[in-house]
Amino acid sequence: MEETATQALHRLKRQGRLAQLALSETGFGFDPQSGQSFSVNGTGLFTLNRLISGDETNAIAVDMSKQYDVEPSLAESAIEVFVRQLGRYLQ
Amino acid sequence: MIKKRSTEWRNYTVAVTGINARADNPGPGLAVARSIKESKEFTGRTIGLGYDVLDAGLYKKESYDSGYLIPYPASGEQALLERLEEINALEKIDVIIPCLDSEMTNFIRIRQELKEMGIKMFIPTRQNLLMREKNGLPALCKQANVATPKTKLVTDARFFEDPKDSGFKYPFILKGNFYDAHVVYNKHDALLAFNKLVNSWGYPVLAQKLIKGDEYNLTAIGDGAGSMLGEVMMRKRAITEKGKAWAGVTISDPDTKMAATAIMEELKWRGPFELEAIKEEDGTLNIIEFNPRFPSWIYTSVGVGRNLPEALLKIVSDPDSKLNFPAPVFGLLFVRYAEELLIDMKEFESVFVNGSTNKPIKKYTA
Repeated sequence: MEETATQALHRLKRQGRLAQLALSETGFGFDPQSGQSFSVNGTGLFTLNRLISGDETNAIAVDMSKQYDVEPSLAESAIEVFVRQLGRYLQ
Repeated sequence: MIKKRSTEWRNYTVAVTGINARADNPGPGLAVARSIKESKEFTGRTIGLGYDVLDAGLYKKESYDSGYLIPYPASGEQALLERLEEINALEKIDVIIPCLDSEMTNFIRIRQELKEMGIKMFIPTRQNLLMREKNGLPALCKQANVATPKTKLVTDARFFEDPKDSGFKYPFILKGNFYDAHVVYNKHDALLAFNKLVNSWGYPVLAQKLIKGDEYNLTAIGDGAGSMLGEVMMRKRAITEKGKAWAGVTISDPDTKMAATAIMEELKWRGPFELEAIKEEDGTLNIIEFNPRFPSWIYTSVGVGRNLPEALLKIVSDPDSKLNFPAPVFGLLFVRYAEELLIDMKEFESVFVNGSTNKPIKKYTA
């Protein structure tokens, strides 16, 4: 069964996968464990930087909703989808 | 700073496509750039136009002064034109040399727009391109009175149940519309190969009778009036799994030259080309392909004293150029090798994110 966003995030933190990522201000990312490159858009970069800093998703959603002037529920939902995708990518 | 347009080939900014360096099937672009850079008189710039972030030409500084990603041919000519407008705003391109079969139609379609931007190309007409396509080759060869193996368009996999009905027997070759060829020995092979080719290149797939013999290749530049310029011939000595030469020797074969001459007279081809032929034991020369661009072994033309990419620039600059090719050298061997190119992550990021080895493209304003 696929991980939930919470499960994915806990696993990534436990494994140290987020801390390992090389992420540039352009949104270009490199995973040194798999050698894969990827890119994220503006909101993806905003979220990933905060995750790497150790912030929790609900705090990120609050700030995202202010920064991008969107409903908090939309920000939460987007972050959840993003974290699940990140979990799939960083196996 | 606006780069002044050069009317002299020595100072041209030349953009070249086909700059991948896959070991089993490299594009001609790196060899074209190498040939131009080794010209004793050329002092201009070369720009690599690639389709993939891992195209080696984007990063090989000895070959290209800068590199840019362009959209895949399937995106259409409008996407290509828009991207070339962006690149041209920075680079002020004088000439484009397309080096891949699959992109030729798009370049032909936008030649007028490119001309208006000041970009020259020496390429064929759409009609010429169709006449030498794999499925048009038998008719062209018949007109030129040269031999070619029996060929059939295949759009239905039921053909492989009993190809004898169409005059084919296993083994024979299956070819994709643009690239790739597989020898198929039975129905199972054929179905696998057919599906692979359709998935990669679409329909039609061509079945071609398998001819046993040595492969003779000729490259030259068609002048558009029925003649060819600067022909260089080679025989393959060793091939990759995809049938591409990784070793060859330059030759002088009158039969191959005669066949190319006859096809030129019919086709009146304009631009670089490669003719592939197989000579059977009994001496019969069969034309198997006419490729609408320089081959990946084109650097060999420098070795024989007939630098064809340089010659192409001279023709573009002055159609009445006296090329004065010396007699080519025979018995020159070439052996292809692979080497690693080390690329800093920042440079890779620049291509990955911005599609260029330079800083992000800005629209040029005077």
